[in-house]
Amino acid sequence: MDFVPGGELSRRIREGDASAETELIRQFEPGLRVLLRRRTGGDVGLLQDLVQETLLIVIQRLRGDGIDDPGKLAAFAAQTARNLAIASLRKAERQKTDVDSEATERNADSSRGVVTLAEDIESALAVRALLRELPQPRDRLMLRRFYLEDHDKETICREMQLSEAAFNQALSRARRRFRQILEERGFTRRDLLGPGP
Amino acid sequence: MNQQLLEQYVAGRLNESEAVAFEEFCLENPEFAKQVELEQLLKSGVVQVARGSTAEFVRSGTETRWMLALAASVILCVIAGTYLWQQSAAVRPHILTAAHNVAKDGPSLRLALVRGADDLPELPRGLVRVEIVGLFETSAQYSVVLDQHNKKNVDTVAALFGQHPSSPMKLEVLLDSEQLESGTYSLHVTRKDSREDPLDFEFVKP
Repeated sequence: MDFVPGGELSRRIREGDASAETELIRQFEPGLRVLLRRRTGGDVGLLQDLVQETLLIVIQRLRGDGIDDPGKLAAFAAQTARNLAIASLRKAERQKTDVDSEATERNADSSRGVVTLAEDIESALAVRALLRELPQPRDRLMLRRFYLEDHDKETICREMQLSEAAFNQALSRARRRFRQILEERGFTRRDLLGPGP
Repeated sequence: MNQQLLEQYVAGRLNESEAVAFEEFCLENPEFAKQVELEQLLKSGVVQVARGSTAEFVRSGTETRWMLALAASVILCVIAGTYLWQQSAAVRPHILTAAHNVAKDGPSLRLALVRGADDLPELPRGLVRVEIVGLFETSAQYSVVLDQHNKKNVDTVAALFGQHPSSPMKLEVLLDSEQLESGTYSLHVTRKDSREDPLDFEFVKP
């Protein structure tokens, strides 16, 4: 995917070029997903809503007043996404007061629930399949310590008596296989699975 | 931008200004952002799996041990199968039945693995729809075994095989509470042809 500078995108959108809006969405959506995934606590439905909302705000702004420094379009979009995530968090905190959690669960937006569930289930099932395939218990333990317990690489290598090269190799193998499993399970929507790491 | 920064971002180890710069780089480099999201998905998948059970992470090691474990599993299955078959006359019928096409307005009990929960859930009276919450494969078959915990031992009082979950997060069965004595019980849910540990849930019949 060719990178189109923010300044050029801003100018074209301002001039009413619809293809520039499509390019902006294609260019920014993956990064916004990364940014918002980190800030939505695993709620994939909310993540998708906020990605859409961010893109809408950015496009409307570019169609209208524009932004102060069009060269910093990515920074503007990222900050918009962060602000939306903070606002959403505050709203959720307010709603926590005196809420009947069971009633909330019953009345929750079912479409969001399905999306959230599907993506959670897909990644969990892919990890399960991955763990079943890993030949060495050492590799499973390594993944657990790295991804679940957030131990840093140096500590894991030292305590498990692994060289950094061996660690990187095992991790890279696991990532590759995880990606293949997701692909085999048809997890290609939103073009998530671009060129591999 | 390198792999180390990617890992540090996903692990939450970058400071605020580093994270901001990293995120802006992701917005300007969608292909790199896809790699980051894949890493985020892998991490979230590991967390999801660990929430359900840690069995996948601690499964034993070498080929020999695998073979021994497999052989032991086969023997245990044969013994358990024989035992269950012999017990079938003693197992009271219709304590545990499939929950297909049953109205959802009757009594129900939700069983989920809740960390730190001290109180066992109570089984209501009547024909109870038991919702077992976990991570299920909808195409797989599951067995549900009901055990009664006595002072000295544990007795199997009912078993149900070939059950399909009603959703990826829920498997439902019907349990006739009226046929059970007061006491502590546990339900074990096992996926057919799987070496995964069963999901175990305890509850109390008042």
